[in-house]
Parts: sequence; structure tokens; C-alpha cells
Amino acid sequence: MATLEIKKLSRLFGDTRAVDDLSLTIGDGELVCLLGPSGSGKSTVLRMIGGFEEPTAGSILIDGQDVTRVPPERRPTGMVFQSHALWAHMDVFANVAFGLKLRRLPKDEIHQRVNASLATVGLEGFGARKTTQLSGGQQQRVALARSLVLEPKILLLDEPFASLDQHLRERLREEVREIQRRVGITMVFVTHGQDEALAIADRIAVMRDGRLEQLSRPDRLYRQPQTEFVAGFVGQMNLLRGAVRSNVMTAAGIDLPVTLADGLATLALRPEDIALERRSGDRGAEVTRVTDFGTHLSIEVKTRCEHRLKIMAQPGTGWSTGMRAELSAHNFAIYRDGKLCFMPQPGSAQSSVAA
Amino acid sequence: MSRAEATRQDAKGGRLFGLLLIAAPVSLVLLLIIWPVALSVFDTLTVETPSGVALSLDAYRFFFSDGFSLRNLWMTIQVAAICTVLLLIISLTIALYLRFSTSRLTGYIQALALFPLFVPSILLAYALIRTLGPNGTVDILLNAVGLPKLASPYLTIWGPIIGLVWDNLPLTLLIVLAGLGNVSSASIDAARDVGANRAQVLRYIILPRIRSTLLVAASFVVLGLFSAFTLPYLLGPAVPEMMGPFMRRTIIDVDDPLQARTQAVVSFMICAAFAYFYVRSIARTRREQSS
Repeated sequence: MATLEIKKLSRLFGDTRAVDDLSLTIGDGELVCLLGPSGSGKSTVLRMIGGFEEPTAGSILIDGQDVTRVPPERRPTGMVFQSHALWAHMDVFANVAFGLKLRRLPKDEIHQRVNASLATVGLEGFGARKTTQLSGGQQQRVALARSLVLEPKILLLDEPFASLDQHLRERLREEVREIQRRVGITMVFVTHGQDEALAIADRIAVMRDGRLEQLSRPDRLYRQPQTEFVAGFVGQMNLLRGAVRSNVMTAAGIDLPVTLADGLATLALRPEDIALERRSGDRGAEVTRVTDFGTHLSIEVKTRCEHRLKIMAQPGTGWSTGMRAELSAHNFAIYRDGKLCFMPQPGSAQSSVAA
Repeated sequence: MSRAEATRQDAKGGRLFGLLLIAAPVSLVLLLIIWPVALSVFDTLTVETPSGVALSLDAYRFFFSDGFSLRNLWMTIQVAAICTVLLLIISLTIALYLRFSTSRLTGYIQALALFPLFVPSILLAYALIRTLGPNGTVDILLNAVGLPKLASPYLTIWGPIIGLVWDNLPLTLLIVLAGLGNVSSASIDAARDVGANRAQVLRYIILPRIRSTLLVAASFVVLGLFSAFTLPYLLGPAVPEMMGPFMRRTIIDVDDPLQARTQAVVSFMICAAFAYFYVRSIARTRREQSS
């Protein structure tokens, strides 16, 4: 177990700034997800922590020790790669035992630790198999066992489940979370899947263009996104351009009371924070599409100003295409210049009418 | 006609067309390679007697009891072994640099390493004579700075070795580079991640992964060296000499076609052993890929 401190880390590739002045502290036994779109610099950060990329500026400290210029083979980190990176000329046992053999440990100890590690990832008895005889999920477990067997201070996972199918991905991420809790290891997990991050992280660091947008607990990240980018990237969000005039935010025909100076702003509404009420005739917004996901209905409406909004409703509520509805919002956020500038106090109901 | 019958006839037509397609190259190989080889082997194993053709090992008995022929064969094996080792070391070093370096120099070094591919052997031989031969560029430069002359490799066993290494470098490098292309960067990163230093990565990860490639490269080099003529002829010593010039001299100067054929068959048998390793390596790689 260990703490990880990243101070003002930057990495340039030619003129491209892959990571830009990033600072981050990860606590002992914490699981932090680096979340961001492709090209946001999250994998570069991970590779710099692992020692595979040299930072252009800044420093990396593990348990207070500066490891910025230490090569990967001498860092107290273990990495699980997206492509498994298993050595096909070795069997499963040899793959997991390789690091221990390099450390010249006694044979008995190697056997015991490899078997224990394989058991941890649920692959007991798979030692003699060729890696090519394993499924994608099993290969990724071997990669995990190979890292865990060395008992690294920090485990780095670079989109480890990206190549697996949805069900297997969900199962494996639960298992990784379970192992992390059991072993108590500090983990940095890179993913571009928000579901994955929200499901397993203690804290999520959202990255964009090499910079840290927000570092928060998953619930806080979802409920109180501090920037417009995070609001749009994490979960579904209706982002509507509008303006504030005399303490009223107007966007897409929706009026909401705010305490803000006049000017342009963006209204952010989660689909589940909008309520629908049926209206007769041609009043209100028009329901243009209804998709039943079993657990909820996803309803798309078109306001009179031709804006489209996504709304989540309970299943069996009888909504269908062509119906008309009035919208009201419980929670919302207002962004100006990309930053959060207004959010109503929890519990204060706000209502509006779609024109 | 039923659909099944039509499908069967289509398949039959397809097979016939396939056989026709390969008929031309197979016939050429049979006519120009297999048939002359069979004739040569037959000639070296038989002797004309008044009662007709009889089986005889006299030609081989002569070759393997003739000190001159054996010295020539031994020199060829020596040159082939030294060249193969040097070529594998040099091309592996360059290929590792080209594969893993991020330096801007890689492009220039690759171009330089592949340059001999476009230089005819005869030009290369004369360039080496002018450079490394007696009173060549190296001697002149050494003399200019007041250093004594070096023993020239020209007309020694090292003459053809230097020339053949230079000449065979591009092909060997291309084969090794292709093999290294199959070693993913992630598998090397993973090895370093568990504690392997650069030498251990090479020994435990890279070399086992490119073993077949190295064997293929070595087979090609050996096969090429046994049939090399221009460079050993122009750069090598007169005695002993490599099998290429030896065969030419036996058939043209000595006018002994039977011994020339015997020398060719002996060379062919040694090459066939390497060809066997090559084919076995390819088959093993295919098996591993399909498992």
C-alpha cells in the first residue's frame, strides 16, 4: 500500500501537449479512475507513473520518494495492459512466475506465490495452460495475477477490459474491485467508460486535453459537475444554450429562476431530473420518440423552439410518440464560460413550461 | 440437373482450373531444377562399364579422400559459419535499434543498412579492394597519420567474409526486422514492468519470440553463401577456395564435369539440411499460430 503524489506533471510530444501541468494525490489503498475521451492524456499519465514515458516537467512521488527518473523495472508499480501483453512462448505459470524468477526467489516460494496469485484471480489449476488456449477474460486475469504476485505498492490498469464484451467487463470490474478491497492495494485505473469509472472508483479524475477537469467522488461528480465538459461527459445531460435576464434563465423555452447576473449561459438538465405532465391539444412539447429499456423509458421531446431533450421516465407510464407534455425540472445547473456558476439548493423545486 | 450435382461439377471445374494454374511453375521447377539435380545425383552415383551402367561411389570416395577438395569444403563451411554469426549479430543489433529507437536517425540508418541491396556484387568487390586492399584507402589514411600498414584481408579468408557480410546484410536485416515486428511493445513493457532489465528482455522475451525468424535468416544466409561466386572469386585466396569458384575451376579449367557435379551434390546436401530446418521452422510457426 502506498500514496501517490503527482506534481505539476507535463508531457510534450513534439508540439503537442499530451499532459499539461497535472497535479493529483492518491491516498493509501484508494482506487482512482482516470476518465476521459480518447486523446485526453490519461494513458500517458499512467505510463509516466509506470516509468514507460519520461515527463517533460513535474515529478512523481510514491510514498514520498521521487521516482520520476526511475526506470520501470525499478519502480514499485505493477501494470496491467489493455492488450494483456502476455508472453505467448510461456505457459500461464511461467508468465506469472517470470518476475519472481528474475528476483531469484527460491523455487518453493515461487510455486506458492504463483499458485496463490492464480487463486486470487480465480484461475487455480490453469498454470500448465498455454496463454493462447485462454479466453480474453482469462488472459486478462493472468495479466492481473502477474502484476499482483509481485505485490506492487501501486497497481496501474490501462483500460484492461476494453477488448472484452459487456457482461465479462462488468463481472471482471467487480472482481477487480473485490481484489483491491481484499488486498488493500492503491490502484490507478484508466478508462474511457464512465459506467466503469462510476462503478468501481473511490474517486474519479476527469481529464480533457491533458488537463484535470475535476477530481471527485463518483456521486459528487455526477450530481455536481464543476465544468460544462464534465457535465456533458459523465452520464447523459441536456445542455441548452440560453441567457439569464432579471434572474430568470431561459433556454429552449424553459424558464428557471436563478440568482445570476444577466448574460449568456448554458442550462444543464439530467434526463432523470425532468418531469413530464400530459397536455392536451397542441400545448407543451411534442414527444418524438419513446424507447423502453425495461428499467426506464427514454423519451425524446421537441420543444416549440425546435430543441430536442432527452427525458427519463418510469416504465408503464403510457407515453407514446405524438403526445404532448409540459416539462418541469427538479435539479439543474447553469454554466458560464464552461464553469459551474449556479445550482439550486437541494430540495428547492423549480418548475418551467416548455413553450 | 440437381443443385447438388451442379455444385459438385463447379467444385470439379475449380479444382481443374487450380491444377492448370500451378501446372506451368511446377513444370518449370521439374524441368529446370529437379530433373538436372536428379541427373547429377545419378551421374555421381554411377559409372560406365563395358557391361553397362553400374552403381559406384568412386566420385564421392575421391572427393572425401582428396585433401584439396576437403580444404575447400572446410573453408566454405568456415566462411558460412562466421558470416552467419556476424550477420545475425549485426542485423539483430541494427534491427533492435530500428524497432525500438525513437531517434530521428533511424530512417538514415535503415537506408544505409539497406544500401548494399542496390549495389552489384562486382562493384562491391572492387570497392573493397580499393578500400581494404594493399595500398588502398585504409593504408593511405594510416600512412598519412604515421601508423604502420594493416595486414590486408584481401586474398585471405576475411576478404570474402567482409564482402559477403556486407552483401547479405540487407536481406538478413529485413527478415529480422519483420520478425521483430511481431514482438509487441506492450509485451516488452510488461517484462520491464515485472523487473526485467534490457538484457533480460532480450534474452527471455525477444529472442524466444524471434527464434524461428533467426533460423529462417540463418538458413537463407547459408544457402546463399554456398552458391556465392563473385565475391569469393574476386576477394578470396586461390588456395583454399570456396565451393563456388572451386566448381567453376573444376569444370572449366580442369575439365572434370563428374567431380564438379560431385562438389555440387555435396554442397546441395549441406544446403538441404538447412532447408529442412527452414521448412520445419515454418511448419512449427504455423502450428503455433493455429493452436
